[in-house]
Amino acid sequence: MISLAGRDILHSWSKYVFTGVGLGLLIGVTLSMAGIYRGMVDDAQVLLRNSGADIWVVQQETLGPYAEPSSLRDDVYRSVLGLPGVADAANVTYLNMQIRHDERDVRVMAVGFEPGQPGEPPFLSAGRHIARNHYEVVADARTGFRLGERIRIRRQDHTVVGLTRRMVSSSGDPMVFLPLKDAQEAQFLKDNDAIVNERARTAANPALNRPGVPGLLDAIQASQTTSRSANAVLVRVASGWDSEQVAEGIRRWKHLEAFTRVQMEEILVSKLIETSARQIGTFLVILAIVSAAIVSFIIYTMTLGKIRELAVLKLIGTRNRTIAGMILQESLGLGLIGFVIGKTVATLWAPYFPKYVLLLPGDAIRGLVAVMLVCALASLVAIRAALKVDPATAIGG
Amino acid sequence: MATPAIEVAGLRKRYGEGEAAVDALKGVDMIIHPGEVVGLIGPSGSGKSTLLKCLGAVIEPSAGRMALAGQTIFDERWKIRDLRALRRDSIGFVFQAPYLIPFLDVTDNVALLPMLAGKPNHEARRQAMELLEALDVGHRAKASPSELSGGEQQRVAIARALVNRPPVILADEPTAPLDSERALNVIRILNRMAGQYQTAIIVVTHDEKIIPTFQRLYHIRDGRTFEEAGEGRSA
Ligand SMILES: Nc1ncnc2c1ncn2[C@@H]1O[C@H](COP(=O)(O)OP(=O)(O)OP(=O)(O)O)[C@@H](O)[C@H]1O
Ligand SMILES: [Mg+2]
Repeated sequence: MISLAGRDILHSWSKYVFTGVGLGLLIGVTLSMAGIYRGMVDDAQVLLRNSGADIWVVQQETLGPYAEPSSLRDDVYRSVLGLPGVADAANVTYLNMQIRHDERDVRVMAVGFEPGQPGEPPFLSAGRHIARNHYEVVADARTGFRLGERIRIRRQDHTVVGLTRRMVSSSGDPMVFLPLKDAQEAQFLKDNDAIVNERARTAANPALNRPGVPGLLDAIQASQTTSRSANAVLVRVASGWDSEQVAEGIRRWKHLEAFTRVQMEEILVSKLIETSARQIGTFLVILAIVSAAIVSFIIYTMTLGKIRELAVLKLIGTRNRTIAGMILQESLGLGLIGFVIGKTVATLWAPYFPKYVLLLPGDAIRGLVAVMLVCALASLVAIRAALKVDPATAIGG
Repeated sequence: MATPAIEVAGLRKRYGEGEAAVDALKGVDMIIHPGEVVGLIGPSGSGKSTLLKCLGAVIEPSAGRMALAGQTIFDERWKIRDLRALRRDSIGFVFQAPYLIPFLDVTDNVALLPMLAGKPNHEARRQAMELLEALDVGHRAKASPSELSGGEQQRVAIARALVNRPPVILADEPTAPLDSERALNVIRILNRMAGQYQTAIIVVTHDEKIIPTFQRLYHIRDGRTFEEAGEGRSA
């Protein structure tokens, strides 16, 4: 027996290819949506992996530093270092900001870190690591910054000395790494007007500016301007220690929140990305329904166009099973053509997305299975119509 | 004489029920022997197509008896379970238009029937080729139906009707779209095939030109058949 569906598809291939292109673009969008979600998850995991930390110590009762703001005194790391099982501990700061570059604003995540400590970018794609304590940065290639360029962060100019790749924040903004001191200055220090205003306000407060207590006002002013904070302390656990055990110690002992890598991943992936995931999931369901409607409409119309042939096929003794199989296979064939086109366009246009799009082979296979299921379902209406065709109509009146 | 290829007795067909009922066949009797080509003529609405559909096992008669090649297929009710297989193996159909399957080439249009009957592809195609050669369309075997002339298409349709060697072929106005020369050629072919394969062929027609060519002629009027044994015809 020959494949009736195969012959029909070959015969009217242009119809199948054109419809397949339409369906394929829809499937391409679907695969890209899944890729965008995977990209977000992967960005989050890369963020955690590249931070080089085993434990994130943050302000109590917050989910910082990525999902919620967190602020710590910047001497906390010293006491954490003293705890058992802690090999390294270092302050980091995270600050979302816009940096002017080539006549436009680039949205970046400025990361303050201490060279050689957790939080440092793990690899460079060009240039060198930060060697001086001030005014040098390492930038993710996606910022568009070039080596040797000078960029302005708040009040200070910095030189780009190194470039790295795939270092983005949980919202996909490229990272710019700078020395902790510079970052703290950018984040926590007040600008001159604010300092002048605050000094005036403090001086006008009779409780702080007491005529009988010399030096008090000066001490208060100094403590206000030099007040330093960090957003988190990154901890590397000594070998032989269990992260959770060490984290538990930090929590109990220091009245701080401490998250292990596993917990952090949970926070990023299930809390931060969850709404986006649901958004994308809803979109995928709608796309599946739209595709199903399109496929069933197309297959139905194609079947109606073959009523006479179907009547002849039935008259000459073709079994219902064979006819149903033919329409089912045509529907699956259309789905397969659409899938190949969809997979191709999704791969071709992925690099042009502003954020990372990760197309997993597993998602492609799941997509293929879904397309096949949708096409099989969509063919049911057409199969019903085909089985109702009366062979007597082939003989005519 | 040998077993008749077609035997019909007291066949009735009523469409619809009650007030709206139409008695399309009111008692049809006919006997056709293997190798005979018989004409069936009658005015419009006389029941020709209805009779062909009953014989072709695509509609169910209301009463009477039908037998194909000695096997009773209908006696007040169907006597055969698988009507589809009956149509495939025992009845060939030729229509007014060739009704070839557009997405199969000429060979496979014909070979499809033996394939449906479970023959292996190469064997089915061999049978198809043999008939296509016999009908002078062997050189178009790889062509698509849309590339053939009307006469060639009709010959392919005849090959398809013949390929499973059915004892009976039912043809409904097979010459309607053809000019008289081609029409006569189709009838010649049907006669030749009937003789060669001992097939009984019923040809429904309005076509005055071909009426004289039939060995026997049935008239149908108002749902009843009358046999005419005119000049030049022999039973
Ligand atoms: N499906 C049907 N339902 C009800 N009545 C029908 C049906 N098919 C045919 N008839 C009626 O049965 C009668 C015989 O119809 P039939 O089609 O057999 O005529 P015919 O001899 O083939 O006519 P023509 O030469 O015009 O093709 C007509 O009165 C027709 O109206
Ligand atoms: Mg008719």
